[in-house]
Amino acid sequence: MSTLIAWIDRRFPLTKLVRESMTEYYAPKNFNFWYFFGSLALFVFAIQVITGIFLLAHYQPSADKAFESIQTIMYDVKWGWLIRYAHTTGASFFFIVVYLHMLRGYLYGSYRKPRELLWIIGFVIYLCLMAEAYFGYVLPYGNMSYWGGEVITSIIGAIPVVGDWLVSLARGGFGIGTATLNRFLAFHVVLVPALLAALVVIHLLALHETGSNNPDGIEIRDRLGADGKPIDGIPFHPYYTVKDIFGVGVLMILFALVVFYAPTLHGLFIESYNYTPANPMQTPPDITPAWYLAPYYAMLRAIPNKELGILVLFLAIIVPFFLPWLDRNARARSVRYRPVYLGMIVVLVASMLVLGWIGMQPASPALLPPARVCLALYFLFFFTLPFISRIEPTRPVPERLRM
Amino acid sequence: MRKLACLAVLALAAALPASAQEAAKLSTPHYRFDRATLQAGAKFFASNCTACHSLGHIRYRRLATDLGMSKEALTRIFPQARNKPDDVIKSAMPADAALQAFGVVPPDLTLEARYRGTRWIYSYLKGFYSDPSRPTGFNNHVRPNVAMPDVLAGLQGIVAADGSVISKGSVSPAEFDRDIAAVTAWLQYTSDPSKLERRALGPWVIGFLVVFTLVAYALKRVVWRPVH
Amino acid sequence: MSDRDESKAAPDPEAPGDIDEGKRQFLATTTGVIGVLGCGGAAVPLIRSLEPDASVAAAATTIANLSDIGPGMQKTVNWQNKPVIIVHRTPEMLATLTALTGKLADPNCEVPQQPPYARNIYRSRKPEWLVMVRVCTHLCCIPLFEPTPGSVEPAWRGGFHCPCHGSSYDLAGRVFKDVPAPRNMAIPEYEFINDGSQVRITAMYPKSKLC
Repeated sequence: MSTLIAWIDRRFPLTKLVRESMTEYYAPKNFNFWYFFGSLALFVFAIQVITGIFLLAHYQPSADKAFESIQTIMYDVKWGWLIRYAHTTGASFFFIVVYLHMLRGYLYGSYRKPRELLWIIGFVIYLCLMAEAYFGYVLPYGNMSYWGGEVITSIIGAIPVVGDWLVSLARGGFGIGTATLNRFLAFHVVLVPALLAALVVIHLLALHETGSNNPDGIEIRDRLGADGKPIDGIPFHPYYTVKDIFGVGVLMILFALVVFYAPTLHGLFIESYNYTPANPMQTPPDITPAWYLAPYYAMLRAIPNKELGILVLFLAIIVPFFLPWLDRNARARSVRYRPVYLGMIVVLVASMLVLGWIGMQPASPALLPPARVCLALYFLFFFTLPFISRIEPTRPVPERLRM
Repeated sequence: MRKLACLAVLALAAALPASAQEAAKLSTPHYRFDRATLQAGAKFFASNCTACHSLGHIRYRRLATDLGMSKEALTRIFPQARNKPDDVIKSAMPADAALQAFGVVPPDLTLEARYRGTRWIYSYLKGFYSDPSRPTGFNNHVRPNVAMPDVLAGLQGIVAADGSVISKGSVSPAEFDRDIAAVTAWLQYTSDPSKLERRALGPWVIGFLVVFTLVAYALKRVVWRPVH
Repeated sequence: MSDRDESKAAPDPEAPGDIDEGKRQFLATTTGVIGVLGCGGAAVPLIRSLEPDASVAAAATTIANLSDIGPGMQKTVNWQNKPVIIVHRTPEMLATLTALTGKLADPNCEVPQQPPYARNIYRSRKPEWLVMVRVCTHLCCIPLFEPTPGSVEPAWRGGFHCPCHGSSYDLAGRVFKDVPAPRNMAIPEYEFINDGSQVRITAMYPKSKLC
């Protein structure tokens, strides 16, 4: 074996890569619960790609055959139901994991200098993920797929000057149809996954350049031992490889519980309105997006003006991009030492959860005031942060890591 | 931890049905989702529904294994199963004849339980009442002005809009209730036949994963001992 | 900005205690083995999903009506994109089957080109109905149906003649000696349904070879 590895090393930096990224890459020793979700996101990505390939073996991207091909997978293909449910469960799990991963960033200031670029790359990954989910959702061509497809492609029409032309590019016809399904399949299977894969590699390269942040928000590379390694650091392999394998085990148990016992999660993971074929002549009584896009949908509906609503939606998605420059607390990164910032994050998360719930309800005037309040709180988080972060009471940050 | 609890509560709240007003009219069927119920439901469906409704994704061949029936028993319920076991369950009425008779083609019911929900189907089948103003002479509480005639009137009897009995049916209300619950279970099966297999496999898969996770946790503890 | 602090060095994973080392090795191997089993278990349904699905199986059988095939007539139907000939044999045709034994390469059907119920002189379930895959066992051409005596050559009693390379078969599809084709034509698995008014062709007999 060692001669084989020596042969490879002469021709490809195998041992060097393993050493630099795993066995001699030092990570903070105090990673907690919030630090599982990066590796879990990668794992769920792998599940989606693999199950996706085997679904693609049977899917037919035409308006008259798409819905039927999904039923063929569910009823006739051996184990088709398992592969399909794994893929839909994986889509929702991907967002759960990614949202928790993002929340970790907020809590511990992982976006702060010198990790701004890491944050930006992650942000672009999030945008790609939303696009991937959208394209994928249209493909089964149920009635919700159809009308969700129509609604989102019309939002593109709000872009000035080129909006209508872009909509025709997206749809490939007068409305959603076979042309749309074909191109959405190309985007969902090839374009966006390739982008995501590349972005994840770049994301990890950026991470390894700066090293990881940690729950105390202090830089472990500031304190090196006699061997030149951070004294509060531990090599990624074997410590975090072993811990992440355990994390995968827990995720798989939850994943299997859903797939085997509640695959639609009572309409949350697969909506009941998508169990009827696309019908251009009949909209469902309530068009709501999947749960992971629901907060933005609630924001859109909270604004009575169409163009203004779309602008607000766009701004709401974009504003977290600027977080590294809005947070101006020079004394600490982590909420462990910033109770006020922790309070702000709790309010932000609560607002998003409420908006998410509102976004899944049928449109109702009674829900407008709470939606608007939460929308205001959302933006207030970002707009007040530059001021609050400069004056907020900050506890003294320790010299060494706390476990 | 409190954050997680709030998250869980809100996630649960979000899972509630979107249309609150319809939920008030619907009643819940009570049945055990097992082979006996499914066989009873299949029998009821074959006798009362296949005249007009198809189940376009259910092939006869899978019913024998799924429902635990011999080919003979299955053929007694679905005569087509003998010669064409790979065929799907088709309705007896051709689409154009149905269109002429009812103005709309009776929908395929394979996915109906997933689309409408089992409570809707159960309440709908029990919800017919006499209404001379309608072309069929009947209306339905759950789906007003429905084009479907009350094919179950012989079994259930005929009721007026306020629930008062106009004529009694050939079976008792309790038995009719059981029949409708069984056919609802049957439709729940057709909308997701994998449920039987999922319930059989689930404990094994999750048991395996629990074993894996425990071993992985033990490994983690051993490797991390120097750090703690 | 980097202080060299020797008071608490990073733990060295390469130097654990002996008990731990043994336990760690065992647990690492066990986790690995269970993990590989799990991956294998996940791979099985994925690979098997590529097998022909139930809708393909439905298209794999063909049903043919027998009522419109008069005595002495034939019908050739498409089954899994192969031609299957159904011949309504007359008593005269059946009589030829015993007369040609000396000229046939495999008159007793020793080579398993037919299901067990067709291993007889008629090569069928019912003598008057021949159900056969009409593919020449030489190089897969479709042989001509030549029931008329004397048509192919003066001594011809009736049978099949392949125009591609001249192979001949009798009215039960049994191959003649001294022709290019090596075997009798294949009889598929089939059954009579609907009180014998139809025949349902289901599968190739596993041991038989088409061409």
